[in-house]
Amino acid sequence: METEIIAMYAFSIIHMFVGFALAPLMIGIVNRTKAVFAGRTGQPFLQPYYDMVKLLRKGAVYSRTTSWIFRAAPVVGLACAVAALAIVPFGNAPGLLSFEGDLVFFAYVLGLWRFFLVIAALDTGSAFEGMGASREVQFSAMAEPVLFVGLATVATLTGSLSLSDMIAGLSLPLAEIVLVAAALFVVFLCENARIPFDDPNTHLELTMIHEVMVLDYSGPDLGFVLYSAALKFWVLGALIIGITVPLDEGLPVWASCGYAFLGMVMLALLTGIVESVMARVRLLRVPQLLAAAGALAICALIFSMR
Amino acid sequence: METYIEASVILLLLTDIALFGTSRLYTCITIAAVQGVLLGLIALFANAETFIPRIIVIASIGIVIKAFVFPYLLKRTIRQAGVQREIQPFIGYLSSLVVSLVLFGVSIWFSAKLPLALGAGRSMIIPAAIMTMFTGLFLIVARRKALTQCIGYIVCENGMYLFGMVAVGEIPALVELGILLDAVAAVTVMGVAMYHINREFDHIDTDRLSSLKG
Amino acid sequence: MIGHENLLWIMLILPLCTGAVAATMPAARKALAVMCTGILLTAGFGWWSVVHVVCHGTLFAASDWLFLDALSAYNLAIMLLVFSLCACYAYVYFSCELRRGQLTLRQARLFTALFSGSFSTMALVLIANNLSIMWVSLEATTLVTTFLIYLHSSRQSLEAMWKYLIICSVGMAFAFMGTLLAAAAAVKGGSVEGAQALLWTHLVGRASLCDPMLMKAAFIFLLIGYGTKAGLAPMHNWLPDAHSQAPAPVSALFSGFMLSASLYCIMRYLPIVSSAIGSPRWATNLLILFGIVSLLVAAAFIIFQHDVKRLFAYSSVEHMGIIALGLGLGNAGVFTALFHTLNHSLGKTLAFFSAGRLGQIFKTTDMGQMRGVMRISRVWGFGLFISVLALIGAAPFSIFMSEFQTVKAALDAGNVTAAVLFLFGAGIVFMGVLAHLIPVFWARNESDVSLVTTGLLEKFLVFFPGVLLLFLGIWMPDFLHGAIDRAAAIILSGGN
Repeated sequence: METEIIAMYAFSIIHMFVGFALAPLMIGIVNRTKAVFAGRTGQPFLQPYYDMVKLLRKGAVYSRTTSWIFRAAPVVGLACAVAALAIVPFGNAPGLLSFEGDLVFFAYVLGLWRFFLVIAALDTGSAFEGMGASREVQFSAMAEPVLFVGLATVATLTGSLSLSDMIAGLSLPLAEIVLVAAALFVVFLCENARIPFDDPNTHLELTMIHEVMVLDYSGPDLGFVLYSAALKFWVLGALIIGITVPLDEGLPVWASCGYAFLGMVMLALLTGIVESVMARVRLLRVPQLLAAAGALAICALIFSMR
Repeated sequence: METYIEASVILLLLTDIALFGTSRLYTCITIAAVQGVLLGLIALFANAETFIPRIIVIASIGIVIKAFVFPYLLKRTIRQAGVQREIQPFIGYLSSLVVSLVLFGVSIWFSAKLPLALGAGRSMIIPAAIMTMFTGLFLIVARRKALTQCIGYIVCENGMYLFGMVAVGEIPALVELGILLDAVAAVTVMGVAMYHINREFDHIDTDRLSSLKG
Repeated sequence: MIGHENLLWIMLILPLCTGAVAATMPAARKALAVMCTGILLTAGFGWWSVVHVVCHGTLFAASDWLFLDALSAYNLAIMLLVFSLCACYAYVYFSCELRRGQLTLRQARLFTALFSGSFSTMALVLIANNLSIMWVSLEATTLVTTFLIYLHSSRQSLEAMWKYLIICSVGMAFAFMGTLLAAAAAVKGGSVEGAQALLWTHLVGRASLCDPMLMKAAFIFLLIGYGTKAGLAPMHNWLPDAHSQAPAPVSALFSGFMLSASLYCIMRYLPIVSSAIGSPRWATNLLILFGIVSLLVAAAFIIFQHDVKRLFAYSSVEHMGIIALGLGLGNAGVFTALFHTLNHSLGKTLAFFSAGRLGQIFKTTDMGQMRGVMRISRVWGFGLFISVLALIGAAPFSIFMSEFQTVKAALDAGNVTAAVLFLFGAGIVFMGVLAHLIPVFWARNESDVSLVTTGLLEKFLVFFPGVLLLFLGIWMPDFLHGAIDRAAAIILSGGN
């Protein structure tokens, strides 16, 4: 018994490192999937790593109008992403920092990250980035309630307020899970600036959201931003996988982590497929899409409270 | 089997919510067709153990009618009328989604009020059936195009079919065929009516049919 | 010799056959003649079955799926009367249109086929023992009659057709939900097997076992659903449009019988609901409410009408309200309601006949332009006069009798509010209609409409219902009294 618990926590620590190491790979998988769908060979799976290493070796350029906020934001963002990674469970391994009520902490850690990114974008004084910031705030204001309602559903199902306990205690009442997963997947796409909300490929277009906010970053700072975005992809993905992939509690920890990793790869593939087959929706329609996700989440909540 | 039934019911609920938020008429028709298939599947799953040929035949006829005949009729109307979307409905799509949640709550409340004798694991079907009915009624009330109202009628009929299947159980085959026949006739009549409306007025906006008052 | 149970089958199949034959006729007049013959022939068989029920009791057919008891026989008699008159009138009405070249062969064929079809479907409503078959056939009447409204392709009639189609379809959907809930109530109570859950004869004896809560829910849906088709306010919106735009024979059919057929469906459920709940009060209170609301709404709208057919349409809402009120008052009220159904059918049929024919003569149904009808066509003017007097409840016509008895029933039941509101509404209708129509009868006519002559058939179509209305108001024959009593006993059989 003792050893099992130790093994579990060992895996929690290992999960941190696995997350650090493999998060950019997911971005690579998404890009490769899109390339295959478009009939191209596509970049290597490890391209995100190459990009980040390249960026870290370069120097940074700062606009003279910016203040310390602009420089602090990438670091704060990375710290937030790491904190979030420490909370989410992976497979049967609980999060490293799991405690009662950590789902609120989880949501607000991500919120803090967004906050810094937004004020850093405003800090540059560029109208263009300000526009992106405003959109980011608008959409995340709608995405966040969906995330909360989805997590609240799982919490009512399991009677626990800690992400790790929630996911471990989930015994699959199918209906709610499908609804919550669908809602969280929409939030996942929105938060990671994916199609149909935002197109990560279109730089300098009037419609984009996330990319436009980080236009002024260069060198290591941009590397940090990209890396924390990859971590965010991993963290939210792990959450969805944890909720949707049913795992037997008796399963060895390493096997469950293996399954969870497979799930992550599938999720990345799915994201790539969604990006390939869908078009970005008009900005006016984005709230509608998020409201639909909210509707699903609330449905799930109503069901779970029956 | 219960898992499959439950999954179909959830999908049915999702199609309902999708109908609240869809403006493309083609998509609406497809969603209604998917609902028809789901209903047929639920009927088949629910009777998978007993394997009564009558039920299988009627469920199959229902699937064929709702998944092929209705979409064919309605899509033909779309082509004739040349309309693609429901532009500016009476209730906007965002508000429609909010309404959908309220209606969902109401349907759960209502089904909790009804003292129905249900099998184990079937508790979700009644709210789903009532929700589907509400969806149909909502489409009839809150949309302008005659075609959307027709889809609303089909969806409403779907909900009641599901309700009858669960709440009443065994309905004589003759009755069920009569009901299906009525639905087909109704959709056909509506299709012809829409054809005439479009020919006469060059639109199928029901709110602009307003010369008769008082 | 035809077996008596086959009479029911004949009523369903014969009109379909004659309708099909009529639709293949090479000339419009022939098509109409074939249709008339078919309807009258079927009506003959229908009367035979009605007489059989009166003499020998309930008639069953098709292993109990079809049946004719005192209640349905009474309604069937009204239906046969209305349909026979309407078919003859259609011949007269469309002959005039044919002379003016307003009716194409295609339209005539469509009309004859659909009119005959609606006979079958309405007959099935009355003789179906299975409550869901009853629903199916009432829905079928909606679908069959839809294109009758749009017979003369005009924009207004198209609009009226769509409203009729959508509103009645939704209403029917509600009624279907109600039917399902009633079946669920029966299954829940364990009183019936699934397959028999909706056989009325089976259900009515075991209704006390049904789940009361579900039955209440069912009745609400049924009342709203069938009430929509019956034109009870506030679900009556389709009615004035459809009645004013349809050709007069169709309007007469709608008002004369289709609305009553829908109320008949509610009557069928009353004993079941009453004995399931244990007391009729709950259901009857709802009926009283809807009845009074319909009465008052119709009275309010009648004041502002310009079109004579629309006026009569609102008058139908009023009379449906009176019938619902009568049903709600119980005992004597039910008797009056049934009697009123007959009176209203006669009166309204005559009213639409006259309005339609005069509309043809004046080429409009706007009351501002129809002036001095008495000088133009003595026969139809007289028909309009009689029917209007009857419909507003003037003595000594039979509607006066049934309305008087309704008030009496309300006072006997201790429901003074209902009686007062009824008198108030009926008073407004009385004055409103007369204010509109007195100039129509006697004002000097400035237009160039010339005197028209009328044939024998037309005279019959006016005098037969007119005399009947007068006759029934003065003296009610014993056999009719007995028939209505037996029909009322069926409605009252539950829960007392």
